[in-house]
Amino acid sequence: MNTPPSSPTAPLLREQANWVVCDECDAVHQRIALGPVDVAHCQRCNALLGRGHGLKVQSLLALALAALVFLAIGNLTPLVSIEMRGVRADVTLPGALALTWQAGQPGIALLAAATGLVFPFLMIGLRVAVLWPLSQGRRPRYFVPAMHALRWATLWSMVEVFLLSALVAIVRSAGYGTVVPGAGLLAYAALTMLLTSLTAAGLHTLWQLGSTLNEADASPFTPKSVPGNIPATKAPA
Amino acid sequence: MTAPRPRRPLLRAADEPQQAPADTPASDEDTPTHTGQQHRVYSCTACGCVSKRTADAPPASTEPLRCPRCLTALHHRRPRSLEQTWAYTLAALLLYLPANLLPVMATSSVFGSNQHTLLGGIHELWVSGDWALALIVFVASIAVPLIKIGVLLLLLVTAQRQSRWRSQERTQLYRLLDAVGHWSMLDVFVVVMLVGMMNFGNLASVQPEAGLLAFGAVVVLTIFAVISFDPRLLWPEPQRDTLTTAPPA
Repeated sequence: MNTPPSSPTAPLLREQANWVVCDECDAVHQRIALGPVDVAHCQRCNALLGRGHGLKVQSLLALALAALVFLAIGNLTPLVSIEMRGVRADVTLPGALALTWQAGQPGIALLAAATGLVFPFLMIGLRVAVLWPLSQGRRPRYFVPAMHALRWATLWSMVEVFLLSALVAIVRSAGYGTVVPGAGLLAYAALTMLLTSLTAAGLHTLWQLGSTLNEADASPFTPKSVPGNIPATKAPA
Repeated sequence: MTAPRPRRPLLRAADEPQQAPADTPASDEDTPTHTGQQHRVYSCTACGCVSKRTADAPPASTEPLRCPRCLTALHHRRPRSLEQTWAYTLAALLLYLPANLLPVMATSSVFGSNQHTLLGGIHELWVSGDWALALIVFVASIAVPLIKIGVLLLLLVTAQRQSRWRSQERTQLYRLLDAVGHWSMLDVFVVVMLVGMMNFGNLASVQPEAGLLAFGAVVVLTIFAVISFDPRLLWPEPQRDTLTTAPPA
């Protein structure tokens, strides 16, 4: 990280809002307005450049809150119940993670906990934390760090993979006893669908919206306080 | 992925023709496209903000400019992308061996105990008649990691040679890697679930084994390899680009 310049200098960068530059091949395009079902692709490399996504901030917030509820249900109620010779066991994800840890593989337990539980929770929680103020027309002062964290949490959240693997595990253990899917499994299935619609639009529109709103209060992260990154003394004479 | 994608063409930037498309002899295969590097325009990879270097910015600075919206460092091509991707890919290749040779889990029941490798588990599914599931697990746990490493090596070698060969198809391969990457985590979750479900002491139990940790590391390393690779390296700028030439002698 570089230190913010002490004296304001002429901006080194100017926003070029009417252009789109492809992240995958660096081709420059002119920005056009996209309708609700339009999908824009790069003319050079066919990368997805943008979707005309219809969901408003309020709807995104509603989806995120619902996802938070389903994530809680999915972890507090049994994913499956298995009965073997009269012994019945309810299986939850935290329980399975604890058993994996105790069985001498804490590394695996941490990896599965991060991608199946912690990052999904962060991804939904951060969305709520960002969308709630945005829906009221103001931008929280933690907007920039929260959005950066959100990008990482989205990348490492693997709810849909976990759902499929729970189904595979049910099939593989079916021969050993009576396996009954529980409410937690349904909650994870609902969560997977919610997250798909929640993440479909990407984060760029939220960044865009956040940059147009007024900051709740001044913070070191507000971009407007940073005129450029290279101190004036470094500029060529 | 439901509706047919209506592909609205995005117009090329016609204003500000720094390099007149007419005098650039049609480069290899692609029509002369305006690139961000030619126009000194950056697209922030984190937030999508597009910004242009002003005349006040030093022409070649050692310190990268930062996105006016989110403060991410801006580059036309991600620096040291190939070195990082090489490191992650080779580490993944190395760990692919123990991931497949060591047992990923051990089962014990009244009939005795058994150790299972990834291939063994797929074989088990196959003989028990769940061939569709066996196929899914085979693709997710054996084929995908190997194909990923192979494709990464292909992208790395061609990007290093600044090849212009089938840039669009290679970018498509990169996007494929990006899309399938996390599905390989399936096996890690399956074993964790089985450990949770088969917890009946001497009657039946499942233990995780070291091979699974190696496998999880392969998945994580390949994901890191994909995100450190800059696909714009598959689209080298024309050599005659005057904006990035070395300082005059």
